[in-house]
Amino acid sequence: MNLLGISINHKTSSIELREALHLSKNEIIDFVPKLKENLFSEGFVVSTCNRTEIFGIIKDEKISYKEVQKELLDFKPIEGITTNNFLNYFSCSAVKHLFKVSSGIDSLVLGDSQILGQVKEAFELSNELDFSGTLIHRLYESSMRVGKRAIHETMIGEGAVTVSFASIKIIEKIFSNFASKTALIIGAGETGELAAVHLKDKGIGNLFITNRTKERAVKLAEKVNGTAIKYDLFKERLNEFDIIISATSSDEYILSYKDVKQMMKKRKGDICCIMDIAIPRDVDPKVKKIDGVFYNDIDSLNIIVDNNRKKREKEIPIINNIIMEEMVAFFSWFNTLNVVPTIKEFRDFFEKIRKDEFEKIKHKLCPDELDKVENMTKRLIGRIMHNPTIKIKKVSENKINFEKSVQYTTVLRELFNLQGHSNDNKS
Amino acid sequence: MLKTVHILSITVTLFYATTFFVYLLGFINGKTKTHIYNSKRIFLFFTLIVHTFYLIERSFVFDHLPITNQFEIFTILAFAIGFTYFLLELLTDIRGTGVFILVFALIFQVISALFIKDEYVVKEVLKNYPLGIHVINALLGFAGISVSAAYSIMYLLQYKNLQTHKYDLIFDRLPNLEILEKLSFYSMIIGFVLLTIAIAIGFIWLPSAFPDFKFYDPKIISTLIVWLIFGTGIYLRIMGRLYGKKLSYFSIAGFIVAILSVALSGVIYSSFHNFVK
Repeated sequence: MNLLGISINHKTSSIELREALHLSKNEIIDFVPKLKENLFSEGFVVSTCNRTEIFGIIKDEKISYKEVQKELLDFKPIEGITTNNFLNYFSCSAVKHLFKVSSGIDSLVLGDSQILGQVKEAFELSNELDFSGTLIHRLYESSMRVGKRAIHETMIGEGAVTVSFASIKIIEKIFSNFASKTALIIGAGETGELAAVHLKDKGIGNLFITNRTKERAVKLAEKVNGTAIKYDLFKERLNEFDIIISATSSDEYILSYKDVKQMMKKRKGDICCIMDIAIPRDVDPKVKKIDGVFYNDIDSLNIIVDNNRKKREKEIPIINNIIMEEMVAFFSWFNTLNVVPTIKEFRDFFEKIRKDEFEKIKHKLCPDELDKVENMTKRLIGRIMHNPTIKIKKVSENKINFEKSVQYTTVLRELFNLQGHSNDNKS
Repeated sequence: MLKTVHILSITVTLFYATTFFVYLLGFINGKTKTHIYNSKRIFLFFTLIVHTFYLIERSFVFDHLPITNQFEIFTILAFAIGFTYFLLELLTDIRGTGVFILVFALIFQVISALFIKDEYVVKEVLKNYPLGIHVINALLGFAGISVSAAYSIMYLLQYKNLQTHKYDLIFDRLPNLEILEKLSFYSMIIGFVLLTIAIAIGFIWLPSAFPDFKFYDPKIISTLIVWLIFGTGIYLRIMGRLYGKKLSYFSIAGFIVAILSVALSGVIYSSFHNFVK
């Protein structure tokens, strides 16, 4: 199977190179015609913040991964990128890699749930651009099956494996109804943004953002449908917040023990959850001694992350089994592809002979004999072809007889000259 | 018929054991998209059905409600705990705590099945159905209070896990604090309502049934104290003055008072309530 693929991901390149090589949807739309013209009869492109993958059925056996890499780098020249930044796949290994990607075990965050959706989008775009054929379509179906089986049959996606998500999981162990809660994010950087997005996804009732630079707070608030508050005013309203997530780059404590103690007095004992995901810490860790305060810093959150990561790693063998099962199914189907056109040509070959011979004698037959003779010749051809056809189909469907299947089809083609050329069997 | 009762006693015990085992498997497994997770409640439902049938059969065979000795009371307690938990699970759809509650139902049922006596001859008053309904409601009430205390203990346990960053299996499987508080409060309400019914039946019927009935009977007083404690607790909770850890401590304290009141009024003080041999 002439499926060729190249991949650049977190295992082979820095984040700067991956980000530089990332192809947007519009770029993929411009890039695919070049792939179609020069390299592939069908294929697809997956490009996310952590990987860019290009796969396709090569038009010519002389095409190798080097041409594919060159095509990509001609389209999007990046300084500092070399062939060592790419992983290359062919045929079986290409299918296996794609299944691993779809299942989430090849992701930077093991068990990443987003990748399946991203692979799906890539295939759908390929379809829209008329870049997918029978094989790519089948590959898409199999990849989706692998991804869904990984989600439903294993716990690869269970548990938080990032600090931001782990903080949300702990908050979920305190509060059941996020819609009635108010949260404050201190620090609108990448970590704060991630936490804000997680809270928004959980349906937080009210979300406030504060940051030293007001514009960043406003921007993040707009993104998550929250409210920005001035950095020098948030402490006055501290008692309003059930959840406080702090992720600034400050070298000093932003919230002291005294601040939190006073806050809890005003809250009259209502629980407050403080997640300090900054390095160095933004909140004085002594606050955990205050009754009603649940305080977590990166170290305690990493306990959860590490435990969950280990649990996910235990699922990898199960997923590898799923991948193997789907690969067997995929290649069983692929094996039949070779046989079907062969059988068709075989039938066409005999049908042509029958028709030729029938034409020669039909003017010598009376009308009621015509039908009888035609039916007789059809039955004759059918009986002659029956055993070879059944045998070939059977061998091709049998999962371990791929070589035999290839042998039979090759012999059949050579013996009967089934190369798509004109039939030489004329008497 | 007696043989049927004995067979049912064993069957009910096996049902409780199986149900507890299924809940335990679900707890250890943790997965929510499995047949075990979905079938737990069905096991409990059928257990309660079979248990109801057993209690009815027992009542007909012995011509009195199963309230005449400790071990009959235990099987009713097992039913009460199972029933209270079943109601809570239906109301809240929280299935992860069953193993902690149903273990007590199983223990009570096992003890009952092992030591229960077949008493045909009992005090005439014990054959009285209003008394039986009064006792059963009282037991259901105390079961509700006990389940409330169990959830309060789980609340405090989870609270401690969160404060000390102990993220083990118990932390993972127990629901969040708000849900545990809700479960504790709902079971407190169930217990309180059923206790109220028991007290009401008692006040309506007891004076005519017992010539030496006195309103200052120790058991009546202690039950009223428990009733007042939990009534106050429910009121304060509704008014928003009792919640979180405070509610948990209150529930546990109320449970201790309930246990002590039953023990003290039964053992130390004599009471017209002393029917049990």
